[in-house]
Amino acid sequence: MILEELAFVFLAGIAVVTAVLSLLVRELVHTILWIAIFFVDLSAIYFLLEAPFLGVLQLGVYAGAVTVLLLFGIMVTRKRIFSREAATGIGAVPVGLALVTFIFLIAAVGEFSSAPGTIHSYNPSDLSQNLFNVNGPWLLLLGLIMLGAVGGAIYLVREGRE
Amino acid sequence: MTDLSVVGFLGLSSALLAVGIFGVLTRRNFILLLISIEIAMNAAILNFVYFAGFLGGTSGLTGQAIAVVLIGFAATEVAVGLGIVLALNRAKGTINVAQATELRL
Amino acid sequence: MDLQSFAGPFVPEIVLLAATLLVFLLDVVRVRDNEIVGAVALGSVVLALLLVLADLGFAPLAVLATVPSSSIDASVTGAPLYSFTSLGLVFQGLFLLAALLVCLASLSRPKDERGAPIFYGLLLLATLGMVLVAIASDLIFLLLAIELVSVPTYLLVAYSRRDARALEAAMKFYIIGALSTTLSFFGASLLYGAYGTTNLHALATAEAAAGTAGYPVLVLLGYGFLIAGLAFKATLVPFHAWAVDVYDGAPTDVTAFLAGGSKKVGLFAFFLVFLAPILFVRTMASGSPFVTGSVAVGPVLQITLAFLAVVTMTLGNVLALLQKEMKRMLAYSSISQAGYMLIGIAVGTAPALAGATLQILAHVLMKTGAFLVVGAVAALGVGPLIDDYKGLGQKRPLLGVAFGLMLLSLAGVPLTVGFVSKFVLFSAAVQAKGYFVWLAVAGLLNSALSVFYYARVLKVLFFDVAEPRALATGAVVGGSEPEILPVGGLGYGRAAAIALVAVVVVVLGVYPQPVLGAIQNAAQHFVNLGG
Repeated sequence: MILEELAFVFLAGIAVVTAVLSLLVRELVHTILWIAIFFVDLSAIYFLLEAPFLGVLQLGVYAGAVTVLLLFGIMVTRKRIFSREAATGIGAVPVGLALVTFIFLIAAVGEFSSAPGTIHSYNPSDLSQNLFNVNGPWLLLLGLIMLGAVGGAIYLVREGRE
Repeated sequence: MTDLSVVGFLGLSSALLAVGIFGVLTRRNFILLLISIEIAMNAAILNFVYFAGFLGGTSGLTGQAIAVVLIGFAATEVAVGLGIVLALNRAKGTINVAQATELRL
Repeated sequence: MDLQSFAGPFVPEIVLLAATLLVFLLDVVRVRDNEIVGAVALGSVVLALLLVLADLGFAPLAVLATVPSSSIDASVTGAPLYSFTSLGLVFQGLFLLAALLVCLASLSRPKDERGAPIFYGLLLLATLGMVLVAIASDLIFLLLAIELVSVPTYLLVAYSRRDARALEAAMKFYIIGALSTTLSFFGASLLYGAYGTTNLHALATAEAAAGTAGYPVLVLLGYGFLIAGLAFKATLVPFHAWAVDVYDGAPTDVTAFLAGGSKKVGLFAFFLVFLAPILFVRTMASGSPFVTGSVAVGPVLQITLAFLAVVTMTLGNVLALLQKEMKRMLAYSSISQAGYMLIGIAVGTAPALAGATLQILAHVLMKTGAFLVVGAVAALGVGPLIDDYKGLGQKRPLLGVAFGLMLLSLAGVPLTVGFVSKFVLFSAAVQAKGYFVWLAVAGLLNSALSVFYYARVLKVLFFDVAEPRALATGAVVGGSEPEILPVGGLGYGRAAAIALVAVVVVVLGVYPQPVLGAIQNAAQHFVNLGG
């Protein structure tokens, strides 16, 4: 019991710190490093939440595919990969807005008991049943979105003979 | 059986959303904007996963199904963003929002 | 379950999807002529529109009806992801109408412009998304369908590939769109956490039933994030700043589609998401929104939406007054019109919904038409400023008259559809009593305000004499002489689309009964279902 809570506090702390660091460091490649740790850390949280299927998916899609995509984005759009960004100000208004969002959301915490509750685990086969039968249209829609995204993105980056 | 409290998770996802919003409002590099949006999106996915864990039963299963769909969707969105960024980089040689000033605010 | 009963109701969607795939396939085999690809797209949209009209009970087409009439407006049990309502079918018709106008006008794109297959393919895919939004009855289904509209439109704005202005607009559109999507999904996750379901009917029922067991703050926050996320899509005022830049920077045909078509998706999402909780208020006796431990979401939402409506109308109109460029003026006027439509949702009675729907129909016609005219005029070598339009009405009387009719309708002058829709909407708000009367007053004052800037354009069109200098600028831009299209440089397709809009605007303004009756009927059914 206490071990799980400690594990959660540890993982949550890493998540927040890496998220902030990934936005604040000035070398974009370091950003990718931090965001990769962030994705892996969230995957660990999913394992802690007894959702191993989602944990693996998070590892494969986010920590794998999205991170590599972002890295490619940086590599293609800059002449030198390890160049530093100009420092960007932080600004009072954005920080204020983010804080206000956070405080509003924290107000909702009061409605839940802080006593530990049971976390249910699910059989991946039940999950796939749900995903392909009852909620099949979601996957269909996702497929259609991907069709548009792939078609359009390929067209955009293709060098046409113009 | 794991026993944890909702409170910590809600706090974590709120913090992540706040970080994401802060990033979108302050960062100027397009890649950093993408990352900010992904952090906020992960907060939403995390919400679905832990609510699913605490709800249990069929409705909990629905939450996990949503999380699966959203992870796939977020990856698609990043791909679209990179497509636009590469085209913009070719046309203008910069991907910084502040330097792209042809349109007035 | 046999194929007939399973796929039958989705024939319009299947037609659109098949046409999308065909268009992408044509690109692969290098058939890229604008006419061929455009004809495929136009044909599929027309076919889908006919099928939807048949589903709505339009008698001459009854043979084509695909949705069994027993499943339209049937009360839903369980938690299905989609359901057919007659209001949803009306909206399918509206969305297809916008796509039809844009396809028709795009038939006369210049021949040397590339990327016809990708343009029509993405347009059809976005249209498919809009059609699916209209049948959604599940929050996640709805949000994913909205994404099916958004993702192709981000790419549509950028499809010219070399135009830095358009690419920059696409970048802004993408960032804002992705942020709003994230906010919407975050809101949906909070609602899911509070009620354990994402079905819109189940959410509303759970709200009505939730006694002290509810999580009021969580629910209000969930709806708050949803309002923010969807307001970005519908260009309501605190979340509108992207719209003007994107409308200005995008290719004009795409702007017509964005302002006339895809933005209405956000408004219909408001219908679906917020109407059910608002309607449930009427059955709850409590006057105070907060009863201990539970919350009647309805009144809070109504006040919020009413406030958004007034702010959107006023700010949109004031900023439109200050604009010098035609596209930006029309963009701000489009923002202010979204405010009028929001009145209908805030009031939440059947006549008000009918008014809002009619207003959306009118707006689809007028705004798509107006942006198509702007595109045509730009192709004739006239500059982007309002002053560049001097004397256009004398040189091109037919085009000028068509544009003038659209502007009169936007201003709400009698005998145009814009007047009918505003009349129905404001009278419904007055009938609803309470503070809604003030909404009607605010709407009327704003209409009066908007007359100023529309009248200014009309004066420029018909009563100002063209300066020779203004004509000289931008006549030949690219060095090579542009190809001269038929119908005085407009091309048959664009001329037909503009003429169609001009005629329908007047016909519906003089004789609105059939359409108005159908919409009122649909709105009544929608309210009876509980949203």
